[in-house]
Amino acid sequence: MASNISPAAFDKEQIFGMAEKEMEYRVELFNKMTQTCFKKCVDNRYKESELNMGENSCIDRCVSKYWHVTNLVGQLLGSGRSPM
Amino acid sequence: MDKSMLADLDSLPEADKQRMTVMIDQLQIRDSLRMYNSLVERCFNDCVDTFKHKSLQKQEETCVRRCAEKFLKHSMRVGMRFAELNQGAATQD
Repeated sequence: MASNISPAAFDKEQIFGMAEKEMEYRVELFNKMTQTCFKKCVDNRYKESELNMGENSCIDRCVSKYWHVTNLVGQLLGSGRSPM
Repeated sequence: MDKSMLADLDSLPEADKQRMTVMIDQLQIRDSLRMYNSLVERCFNDCVDTFKHKSLQKQEETCVRRCAEKFLKHSMRVGMRFAELNQGAATQD
C-alpha cells in the first residue's frame, strides 16, 4: 500500500490527520472546560434563566484556572517526569 | 467551532479546501449531538426527582427550561473567555 503513495501525497495525509486530531482535541478541551465550569459555578436549583453576577465571575475565573491547569499538566507530562 | 479555522482554508487548493470543510462539518455535527445529549442528561438529573406521574410536571418543565437557557448562556461566555486565552490576552484575577 505504501508504495502506491507518492511522498507528497503521504505528507498531505499526515498533515490532514494531524489537523483533524488538533481540531478534535480543541473541541474536547472546550467541552470539558464548559461542563466542568458549569458544574462548579452554576447553582443547580435554576431559580432564573439568567446567569447572575456571582456565577459570571466564577465562570471567568474557572475558565482561566482550567486553562492554566491544562498548561501546567501539559508541561509536567512533557518534561518526562513520571505521573507519580 | 471557532471561525478562525475557516479563515485558514482560503489559502488551500480547492480539493483540500473541500476536504477540510467536510472534516469541520462532521466535527461540528458530532459536537452538537454530544452537547445535546449531555445537556439532556444534566437537566434531567437536576430537575426531575419524583415519578408520581409519567408526564413532566409544571415546575419540572420550568426548571428544565432555565437549566438549558443557563447552560447556553454559560457556554457562550466560556467561548468568549476561551477565545481570549487562545489569543494570549492577559486577564485579571
